[in-house]
Amino acid sequence: MSVPARKREWAVSVAVFLALIGLWEILSLVYTAEAQPGEPMIAGWGTLFTRTLLSLSDYWQGGLGVRSVADGAPRSYLAAILSLGSHSGATFVRLIGGLALGGVLGLALGLGVSWSRWSRRLVELPTQFLRALPLLAMVPLFQLWFGTYFFGQVLFVAYGVGVIVFAGVVNAVRNVPQIYLDNARALGASRAQLYRTVILPAILPAMRSVAFLSLGAGWGAVLAAEYLGAQSGLGYIIVYAQQFGLLDRMFLVALLFILYTSVSYWAIERLFARLLAWSPAEAAR
Amino acid sequence: MAVSAGSMAERAGGRTGASPPRWLWPGRALAALDPLRLAGAALFLALWQAASLFVSPIILPGPLGVFQRVAADFWSAPALSYFGLEDASLAGNLLYTSENVIIAALLGTAIGVALGLLSARIWFVRAAMDPVMMTAGTVPILIAAPFLLIWFGVGRTSAVSLVTFYVVVILYICAQRAALNLDPIYENYALTLGADRRQILGAILIPGAIPEILGGFRIALAGCWGLEAVAELLGSQTGIGKVLEVLAGATDPQGILATLLLLGLTAILADGVATLLIARLAAWRAPAGSGA
Amino acid sequence: MAEPNRRMIELVEVGRAYTRADGQTVRAVDNVSFIVPEGEFVCLIGPSGCGKSTLLQMIAGLVEPSSGAIVVDGNEVDGPGRERGMVFQGDSVFPWMRVVDNVEYGLKCRGVGAKERRSVARDYLRRVGLAHVERAWPRELSGGMLKRVAIAAVFANGGRVLLLDEPFGALDYVTRRQLQDVLLDLWEEPGRAVPTVIFVTHDVDEALTLADRIVAMRAGVIVDDIPVRAARPRDTDSLLLADMVAIKHKLLGHLGLERALARPAQSESAA
Repeated sequence: MSVPARKREWAVSVAVFLALIGLWEILSLVYTAEAQPGEPMIAGWGTLFTRTLLSLSDYWQGGLGVRSVADGAPRSYLAAILSLGSHSGATFVRLIGGLALGGVLGLALGLGVSWSRWSRRLVELPTQFLRALPLLAMVPLFQLWFGTYFFGQVLFVAYGVGVIVFAGVVNAVRNVPQIYLDNARALGASRAQLYRTVILPAILPAMRSVAFLSLGAGWGAVLAAEYLGAQSGLGYIIVYAQQFGLLDRMFLVALLFILYTSVSYWAIERLFARLLAWSPAEAAR
Repeated sequence: MAVSAGSMAERAGGRTGASPPRWLWPGRALAALDPLRLAGAALFLALWQAASLFVSPIILPGPLGVFQRVAADFWSAPALSYFGLEDASLAGNLLYTSENVIIAALLGTAIGVALGLLSARIWFVRAAMDPVMMTAGTVPILIAAPFLLIWFGVGRTSAVSLVTFYVVVILYICAQRAALNLDPIYENYALTLGADRRQILGAILIPGAIPEILGGFRIALAGCWGLEAVAELLGSQTGIGKVLEVLAGATDPQGILATLLLLGLTAILADGVATLLIARLAAWRAPAGSGA
Repeated sequence: MAEPNRRMIELVEVGRAYTRADGQTVRAVDNVSFIVPEGEFVCLIGPSGCGKSTLLQMIAGLVEPSSGAIVVDGNEVDGPGRERGMVFQGDSVFPWMRVVDNVEYGLKCRGVGAKERRSVARDYLRRVGLAHVERAWPRELSGGMLKRVAIAAVFANGGRVLLLDEPFGALDYVTRRQLQDVLLDLWEEPGRAVPTVIFVTHDVDEALTLADRIVAMRAGVIVDDIPVRAARPRDTDSLLLADMVAIKHKLLGHLGLERALARPAQSESAA
């Protein structure tokens, strides 16, 4: 695309973005209903980053020298930042723990099952079925098994990610072009060398889409788990605030959440751009 | 590409006479049920049964019990009405959930495809919509659920809007990509044959983009079921999600597994129907490899 | 130097059969036997579907024969291995490794030390004219250059038998002619034992330029076995020698491309 055309597009995107921000501000001035005194339903940008932000200090449990609001301490920006930080941390740990656990197990099992022709076909139907079971609908099941303990939620995320990674790895290994396998064997590679030097690099392009799918499923699973019975995390704040109709707090936390997810996608994209520097498809992107 | 055994047979045999009919799907379906795969499914059930013997039924009910429960509760489950559910049967709640999913999927596809195709051809639409859609593509749509619940209250509207939004985003991205990736050779060819822009849109652009769009539909449909279930879990008086919530509260793992099994089967069935429709509508496409 | 093995590659009643979708048995290769002495350059030629590629894949060990045995250098073939190096028709160069790592690959699998295998790889890259793209990614190279990398990798690996399955079939005429020269250069490299080569093609001129012996196949069986005695190096004029033209007519006849009946051929003893 030509440079002027690209600049034109960029200008429109920025304009639309600014228009949305402006629209929100206008709405907040028009629709001044309040859920509770001092908690407007549609909070203007100024209010969001002052009063609403301050109100988030309600969610800080206390510690690190800053007393919690429940104990009578006044609201403060410091407490708000701490509360956001600790709840974000809880969300991250659930996500990253689940991604790591599910990713590693899914990869290991996927490679293991692909070792022989028989095992792959053996697990095919159960895998397809598990993959078809809607992940988010299984929150009650995991809560029944693991209560609302933190580790249970990590397991839930790990399960969702693991099924995706497992199915993706098995499929990717199956689709490695036969010519690379033949070539490696004709050059004298052993079975183990074949896995390490041919199969693993050859499935990387497919692993890119698996990674994005896993990330999406992971965030969804974390949010669902936090909505439905966690005691910490950004999702917990949103749902807790929802019960009192505190739309402004929900909105602020949701914005933060959107920021996190966007950054995570960007990070995975950068990671795979480096890992796939050799791939013609990547060069075309 | 390297020569695989299958293609070697064709090359060795040469071309002799008529080829077997393409629409040989009974044969293909039978091939899909080869003994090893069936053995795998049987093995899975056997392991499940064995595990359930060692573990208390509160944690892991056995497969037989779960199957029986599905059959028993399908048309009538009086226990459910005890918990305040309007419809005291799995079938009724499943119907409610399915209705929402289908409405949302069709509505979302219509909107998403229209916007997506437009964005591929009109730069202004693309510049305006892309940042919103791409950001929405990264964040779980579930984030909007509490907001929708406050705005629309508990009931169909909030759930359907949530799922519709999900489908719109996926189909937008898919339709845009399909239209952009269409090999220009087809349009150029049509131009040399004397077609005008409108004819190209109808005869080339839309049919050419349909296979990829339908593929996106399948993917979106698969995700709808879970999202609908969670929307119901968050605030609904009926539907599979509500059933799950009620059964979880009553510590009834057998019921939960039975309900999940039913939901899974429905999702698979819907996916199967969608695949058949797609095969009909996109029959000209070279068959891709099996497996999602 | 050891006595050259007169039965370097030996095929004994080798066959390969498939069952088609409709239940019929198809013999891709039907009871083929021949012997190749060490150092000979053999071209396997035939029309599409005659079984020449299947036969080559069986010698390589990538496909198992349904009947008969294949013995290479005294050992029965049981799977692929570095003694029977192979150059494929498609792009077999690993896209996730740089050019020099591709050429080193066989040596690395064998456990050769880093410095030594790097110098061997560089040497062969120089010989095929690719010293300047040592660190490039395969996606940056043209089809002809990728083929040179594949050839360099196979020669660097040092097998005594070399199998090529229509390696230049996907390339344009000019590149094909250049690569034929590259191949012959490496094959005739002084100071090491001359590899035994089986080269599958359907290009008659290519076979006449490269081979010591041409084996023609049709419908899974060998129909002719013609020695080519023209002196090397062969050039465009070599193809115009009387006996070369006669061989060409015979081969075109086997390929089904001769319109009129061939003239009574000079007597060539077929095996």
